[in-house]
Amino acid sequence: MKDISSSVRKVDSIIKMSGVAQYVDDIKISGMLYAKTVRSTKVKAIIKNIIIPELPSGYHTVDHSDIPGKNVVSIIFDDMPVFAEKEVKYYGEPIMLVVGEDKDVITDIISNIEIEYQEQTPVFEKIKSAINYHFVKGDSNKAFKNAKKIIKYDYETGYQEQLYIEPQGMIGEIENNKVTLTGSIQCPYYVKNAVKVVLDANDDEVRVKQAVVGGAFGGKEEFPSLMACELAVALRKIKKPIKLIYEREEDMQVTTKRHPAWIHMEAAINEFNEIDGLTAKAAIDAGASIGLSGVVLARALIASTGAYTIENIEVDGDVFLTNTVPNGAFRGFGAPQMLFAVEMFIHHIAKELDIDPLELRLKYLAKQGDATSTRGKFRDPIIMNDMIKKAMEMSDYKNKVKAYEEEGTYKGIGMSWFLHGCGFTGSGEADHIKALVKLEKGADDKVTILIAAVDMGQGIQTTMKKIVSHILNIPLDQIIYNKPDTDLVPDSGPTVASRTIMIVGGLVARAAKQLKEKWEDGKQIVVSERYKQPEYIKWDEDNFIGDAYPAYSWGVNIVEVEVCPVTYQVTLVGIWSVYDVGKAIDERIVMGQADGGILQGVGYGYLEVMRNENGRIVHKNVTDYIIPTTGDTPPMETFLIDNPYPLGPYGAKGAGELTLVGGAPAVALAIENAINKKVTRIPVTPEYIMELMKNG
Amino acid sequence: MKNLTPKTLKETLILLNEGDYKILAGGTDLMIQNRAWSNTLPKFNKDILLVFNLPELKYITLEDDCLHIGSTMTLEELLYHKLTPKLLVEAIKIMASPAIRNMATLGGNIGNASPAGDSLPVLYILNAIVVIESIERTRELPIEDLIIGPGKKTIQKNEIIKEIKIPMSNFTSIRFDKVGGRKADAISKISFAGVAKVKNNTIQDFRVSFGAVGPTVVRNKELEANVIGLTVDDMKVNIQEILNEFGNFIRPIDDQRSNKEYRKTVAINLLKSFILSL
Amino acid sequence: MAKIKFTLNNKQVEIEKSPTARLLDILREDFDFTGVKEGCGEGECGACAVLINDQIVNSCIVPLGTVEGKNIVTIEGFSKTKRHEVLRNAFEEEGAVQCGFCTPGMLIASESLLNKNPHPTDEEIKIGLSGNLCRCTGYNMIIKAVKSASKKGDGLW
Ligand SMILES: Cc1cc2nc3c(=O)[nH]c(=O)nc-3n(C[C@H](O)[C@H](O)[C@H](O)COP(=O)(O)OP(=O)(O)OC[C@H]3O[C@@H](n4cnc5c(N)ncnc54)[C@H](O)[C@@H]3O)c2cc1C
Ligand code: FES
Ligand code: FES
Repeated sequence: MKDISSSVRKVDSIIKMSGVAQYVDDIKISGMLYAKTVRSTKVKAIIKNIIIPELPSGYHTVDHSDIPGKNVVSIIFDDMPVFAEKEVKYYGEPIMLVVGEDKDVITDIISNIEIEYQEQTPVFEKIKSAINYHFVKGDSNKAFKNAKKIIKYDYETGYQEQLYIEPQGMIGEIENNKVTLTGSIQCPYYVKNAVKVVLDANDDEVRVKQAVVGGAFGGKEEFPSLMACELAVALRKIKKPIKLIYEREEDMQVTTKRHPAWIHMEAAINEFNEIDGLTAKAAIDAGASIGLSGVVLARALIASTGAYTIENIEVDGDVFLTNTVPNGAFRGFGAPQMLFAVEMFIHHIAKELDIDPLELRLKYLAKQGDATSTRGKFRDPIIMNDMIKKAMEMSDYKNKVKAYEEEGTYKGIGMSWFLHGCGFTGSGEADHIKALVKLEKGADDKVTILIAAVDMGQGIQTTMKKIVSHILNIPLDQIIYNKPDTDLVPDSGPTVASRTIMIVGGLVARAAKQLKEKWEDGKQIVVSERYKQPEYIKWDEDNFIGDAYPAYSWGVNIVEVEVCPVTYQVTLVGIWSVYDVGKAIDERIVMGQADGGILQGVGYGYLEVMRNENGRIVHKNVTDYIIPTTGDTPPMETFLIDNPYPLGPYGAKGAGELTLVGGAPAVALAIENAINKKVTRIPVTPEYIMELMKNG
Repeated sequence: MKNLTPKTLKETLILLNEGDYKILAGGTDLMIQNRAWSNTLPKFNKDILLVFNLPELKYITLEDDCLHIGSTMTLEELLYHKLTPKLLVEAIKIMASPAIRNMATLGGNIGNASPAGDSLPVLYILNAIVVIESIERTRELPIEDLIIGPGKKTIQKNEIIKEIKIPMSNFTSIRFDKVGGRKADAISKISFAGVAKVKNNTIQDFRVSFGAVGPTVVRNKELEANVIGLTVDDMKVNIQEILNEFGNFIRPIDDQRSNKEYRKTVAINLLKSFILSL
Repeated sequence: MAKIKFTLNNKQVEIEKSPTARLLDILREDFDFTGVKEGCGEGECGACAVLINDQIVNSCIVPLGTVEGKNIVTIEGFSKTKRHEVLRNAFEEEGAVQCGFCTPGMLIASESLLNKNPHPTDEEIKIGLSGNLCRCTGYNMIIKAVKSASKKGDGLW
């Protein structure tokens, strides 16, 4: 049998290439109505009064008063209402839906709804901390007290918009008293559970199905729950099929984005020019509700020493509430912000100490057996030395970095090292998710994979089938894996946090082995597996002590650029990456993740500008929010080194997020190398480069 | 709404004379500016005349030392046409994307009158004349007299842009630079066009223009005239002074795409780089 | 309202609608060709791309009135051709499809490019596809796929 990494044709490519794949907006149900959201036009205000014009027959408004259960979108932190009730806290906050058959009539109704607000002073500054986390390892106080020198830098990162090419959407109907929702979603059970709370419904009264998902990147992790809750309330009230699809500008203004972050770093340097202690203080802007922000912050803080081991650290972070659009999940989940700061900081320390950055970094590079930032342990082999060597060879890094330091070349090369914790942070997997998977063999000997994992382009449909096919030694087309439907599949957890292959795939592999043992031709057999945390993994959630993740994937990115001295524009010249994802279940699929991830990460670092001004997103359409095109894409080369993780299926670890997190520091360091100025914020735009070259 | 698709230019002119219509060519500006919820009609505040397919407006000819470009020639058609001036080709190459260029017309780029319209800096320095027609008369206007502000034109409601006339000239240097947010498919933060004719080390012709740094394209013929007759070396020696003089006319603004400091600095850098290349 | 006639995926069709209606809506809603996607509605992403007389356009900003008498091909029509088969195989072999939302537009853009230039260089491919945004693939494999299709389909374009 072939090695599992050797690539196969993806099982869902053909339908996508011929245009028959059904995304949510492609679904039509007869008698379907349309819904549009009426949104706050104020940043912070009390709703004094709402006057709704007389509605033509067949047209409805749906608001908080129609909610049978709780007016809250349950995710992690239940602080976001489904519909604003007495107050609005950000521009674009949903107040009600208008539902009916004819879009022009709906538009007309909306333009005649009068909402009287009493405006209040909004908060945009970082003053309202909603969550604070703090933890220490070793004795950083002592390190700072005895320091010969203290080096301090502040780093800043901007918004990033997922910009999945398919906007958010959901369609629903009532089937035998059951609210059935089909959407562009990552997490069918998040949606289902949230809807149950809002409708005060039993488990068998809500059904959630996945449509083909046109990209997500975290943007369809928690946000669709809001739309689903709104739509479910409308369905209960109106009892006809309804479609709710966002327009692009609406999507960009009101959906969650990557949290802007401010990170203050200090290093205590001893008399031997060693980094004795490190403190990191982070602030992330949650927007108007907390949602997942605490979890995002936790992942950021845990990454505060990046790929390095520093003995004495103190880490502190806040989630700040502001009257802006709520931020949320985005591939990397807090890590990209922190890894940018860490990678820049270690270079800036080296420069201040006049040491070769490579030397300094190698000295602190984490090794197997080292303590993690949270006093856990890197249990598995770390092969970063080989990976770094390989990446430097591929890119001719050493020669280039020296050559480009010369004034006036305007060329630069930058290298980032990073890790990504696979799966949920801390005890999430064991305590909250408790994933369950099932395999069902029919009398026809076809095997159906029953899991809630969503293929949003990352190829899970193909890789899951491959795992089962390899273990059972049956062809791929004997295996069925339909898009999840909560009436049919158990809750194997959300499709997030690079957990799908490692955790869910691991369970699927175990189930397949079980099935293999029980296999009898022609007989119906069902097997299931539930997640069990390895005994040795311990996590103290309150104090951030222990193993924050069961395993880590590792990576090296190298980016080469040219900076135009006339226009300060950056041209990407080449990108080289080396990753340890344990074992690729399908090499080409991982390579695809690698290409897409790095371009998104690099885009975050130098191109993608999004700001809000007085609480409103300024870059609110695809014309103004610039993401890379083919024209911006340089040649890319990726290399995978096997380093099988004993508990992953075939040794696989997470790969989805890893490929993004190192992009921004690599490109920022490349620009730094090209212009010989210190870069402390991303995106490194031409405007910022000009500022640095003129002043800095 | 009376949205109409006239079959001939004559019919178009008659309609324009009788009613209050908005001319829609490729629609790559108008369809977006007036876009509405999907599967509803764009919200135009006037009736529309679709002129994209009018046969009388699709041509490019060379006559009397003058190039005549019909106003509904698409950018893509111009990109591949051998008569299109090289400088215009340079600009069109980095405008929008192939899909947009297949619909976007040269007349529409003028009609939209955006300071970021990328053909405009080129048309300004090629001394383009816009031929405007109504049922009553045909008149000709230098492009800088047609466009008077963002989206503002001195064109009457019964008139249509028929063609763009470009006098043929010879240059020894041409340059078009577009500074957008990315390498392709981006709206200009700044654009620059320059042409020059140098003979025996002496400047015989020198024209430059800047896009997206003011309410309209910036061109200053007086300042251009000042350098005519200078030797290239003189010009380079006095470059700072020249840059300062042009700089006085470059007063950009901050917006979502960039800021005024950047726009001004880069506009001057581009001019400098053009002069130094002579 | 006006009667507008055109060829759609090799069939003569006629529809009575406002000439300012977006071609995209007509294709998706009236003719059910939902392979044509709406990603932005502002001409920027290319998900809605179709061919008009063998050239790529973004149907979200094409007014219906301008397609009178023209020949329109959507991904559904294109997918029945030999050229699509060659591109399809190349896209599969290179791994150029992830979420697939950009894919119909990418294939249309590739077809339009190869129509004009059967043997494009990498740089020409990048220019040809520059109006089609993809957020999943980083384009690398798409560029390779077009290159490989142009070789394998030698003579088809
Ligand atoms: C994604 C995208 C990218 C773009 N990129 C660029 C770019 O890089 N550079 C750039 O410059 N532009 C760009 N544009 C803008 C646009 O494509 C151009 O301005 C184009 O030339 C407009 O031509 P049109 O025929 O589509 O104009 P339309 O939208 O049809 O019309 C534009 C205006 O001109 C008027 N008009 C059109 N024809 C005539 C006529 N014959 N007589 C009188 N008035 C007329 C119309 O009434 C309207 O006011 C872009 C647009 C999009 C959607
Ligand atoms: S939907 Fe038409 S270009 Fe994006
Ligand atoms: S494959 Fe998802 S946008 Fe291209």
